[in-house]
Amino acid sequence: MTSAATSPSPLVAVEQMYFHYPRARITAGGAGWTLQDISLTIDLKSTVGIVGESGSGKSTLIRVMCGLLRHQQGNVRFNGKDITEYQGDGANELRRQNQIVFQNPRRSLDPRMTIRRSLTEPIRALQQRTPDDDELVSSIKRVGLGPEVLSRFPHQLSGGQLQRVGIARSLSVNPTILYADEPVSALDVSVQAQVLNLLMDLRDQMGLTLVMVSHDLGVVSRMCEHIVVMRHGHIVEAGRTSDVLSRPSSDYTATLLKAARAASLERS
Amino acid sequence: MLHLRNLRVTIDDYEIINIDDLALQPGARLGLVGESGSGKTMTAKAIAGLLPNEAKVSGEVNFDGQNLLTLGDRDLAKVRGKRIGFVFQDPARSLNPMMRIGKQVSEAIRIHTNLKGQAVTDKVVDLLRQVQLPEPETLLRRYPHQLSGGQQQRVMIAAAIAADPDLLIADEPTTALDVTVQEEILRLLISLSEQRKMSLLFVSHDLGVVRFVCNQVAVIYGGNIVEAGNIDNIINRPQHRYTAALLAANPGMPKDDNFSAFIGRRLQTITGSVPPVGRFPSGCRFRNRCQHASEKCATTPPITVSASDHRYLCWHPEQGGQS
Ligand SMILES: Nc1ncnc2c1ncn2[C@@H]1O[C@H](COP(=O)(O)OP(=O)(O)OP(=O)(O)O)[C@@H](O)[C@H]1O
Ligand SMILES: Nc1ncnc2c1ncn2[C@@H]1O[C@H](COP(=O)(O)OP(=O)(O)OP(=O)(O)O)[C@@H](O)[C@H]1O
Ligand SMILES: [Mg+2]
Ligand SMILES: [Mg+2]
Repeated sequence: MTSAATSPSPLVAVEQMYFHYPRARITAGGAGWTLQDISLTIDLKSTVGIVGESGSGKSTLIRVMCGLLRHQQGNVRFNGKDITEYQGDGANELRRQNQIVFQNPRRSLDPRMTIRRSLTEPIRALQQRTPDDDELVSSIKRVGLGPEVLSRFPHQLSGGQLQRVGIARSLSVNPTILYADEPVSALDVSVQAQVLNLLMDLRDQMGLTLVMVSHDLGVVSRMCEHIVVMRHGHIVEAGRTSDVLSRPSSDYTATLLKAARAASLERS
Repeated sequence: MLHLRNLRVTIDDYEIINIDDLALQPGARLGLVGESGSGKTMTAKAIAGLLPNEAKVSGEVNFDGQNLLTLGDRDLAKVRGKRIGFVFQDPARSLNPMMRIGKQVSEAIRIHTNLKGQAVTDKVVDLLRQVQLPEPETLLRRYPHQLSGGQQQRVMIAAAIAADPDLLIADEPTTALDVTVQEEILRLLISLSEQRKMSLLFVSHDLGVVRFVCNQVAVIYGGNIVEAGNIDNIINRPQHRYTAALLAANPGMPKDDNFSAFIGRRLQTITGSVPPVGRFPSGCRFRNRCQHASEKCATTPPITVSASDHRYLCWHPEQGGQS
């Protein structure tokens, strides 16, 4: 994420965007908006961390950026084109290029489907083709799982294995950008480490653009070059992670940092 | 205050917990740490007498001179809730969705104290205020779904401390909360333990959080306590290879705010995963995942106890055994 001036054609460009959920009452003072006056850009192959308190609008923001939710004011452009103009086949293509990994792997996979079917389904829907076994095996191997997993059901896998399946599923359609919404907060420390390393490796190997929502500043400062700090539907601060966290310009970022330091181990 | 001796829990003949010796002094805060499936919740439930019916328990859960395992249901009910408070892992599942917040907390007061009428309501307001919930008078008329996760968590704590327990068992009370709310709840637990001389058994998988809250820690793996002692000793000089691996996998925050050196740094992982119950190896439970394992590790390691009461079960300790 950089300023528009240094980067003429960012992958994602959000300009003065406002969003509210259905039936919200917007007052003259601006109350009611879930997201207000959001402007940010994401460059191809960059890594962006989104942090901020619960309910600040992080999940909503990534859903608007990838076209799952429609904003009411301002602009969201993907590859230079307004996302509202992606229609028909274009809409499928937008969905293919923008994939999300969710927080709770158990809730994001259909419990009645084998892993094979869960992996096949997005490829059928978005690319209108059926992947052969070789493709599924290589997609499951890419996330460090064995082919025997394909015939299993979600309840037969651990949380960490399921999150890998979730990642494999998102990557199966060869996206340009991967949004990960708290991808490891349902996992314990050791499994977190495996999944985070995997995300870093895949990003490097596949040249993915990675946008990650996380409440863990330690994780964001390892993985994300850029950071967006949100509060009450606004962006309070954004920039290079090391700049923002070394010299926070807002009190809220400083508060976040203090809380994160208190309950974290120090690593050199 | 609390002393576990030869505590053994089995389900279908599979050993889930086997703890030979674990003690908690009055006013102390002990962290119980391990990966998912290592037996943290089962240990907490064994202490509170809340194990599933199919579980078989033996040994001693000694609480103030009484073995809770030999108490009848009625005597146990007097201890649980009144002298031992419990905050469960999942607040959404342990609060009754159909019952107003005030009622849930007042039930706990009515059952365990002699208070009646307005005194109960006053106490509820007082408790909600103690856990720093905003506008307690209006909040008590709300239902659980009208509260955020952090607020629900605080209601759970309020109900658990309603009877002024001597021991509070908190099972992962802050997972999935954002860092600022987490810090508030952790500070609350610390101050409750200090003000009320209440002991705390704090269950977590995150040694960073445990360091903040606790003065002692016990590391559990495969139902065994593999290392226990003073929190600073264990974080600075872990002896058991499992403790060292858990520490290394923790993402942490960069030392001296050196964020630019942190970027791109991979995390250390622990080989393999926690096996299901019944599939742990004999001897040292961790040996099939341990880089330092030798043939010796197939036999149960001896308990090593250092001068500072730091104890561990490892044949090949991290620093040759000094601590
Ligand atoms: N489907 C919905 N309908 C109406 N309001 C919603 C919906 N989803 C979220 N909200 C509200 O929008 C606001 C922002 O929610 P969002 O889920 O984006 O926050 P978040 O920053 O991701 O929080 P968390 O860290 O808890 O996941 C919150 O006030 C939330 O209650
Ligand atoms: N009712 C049960 N019947 C049989 N096995 C069980 C039962 N409950 C738990 N277990 C098993 O006992 C072991 C220890 O479980 P426990 O819930 O204590 O783990 P934990 O350390 O609390 O993990 P987490 O961090 O995921 O909460 C696990 O292998 C679990 O699958
Ligand atoms: Mg969210
Ligand atoms: Mg548990």
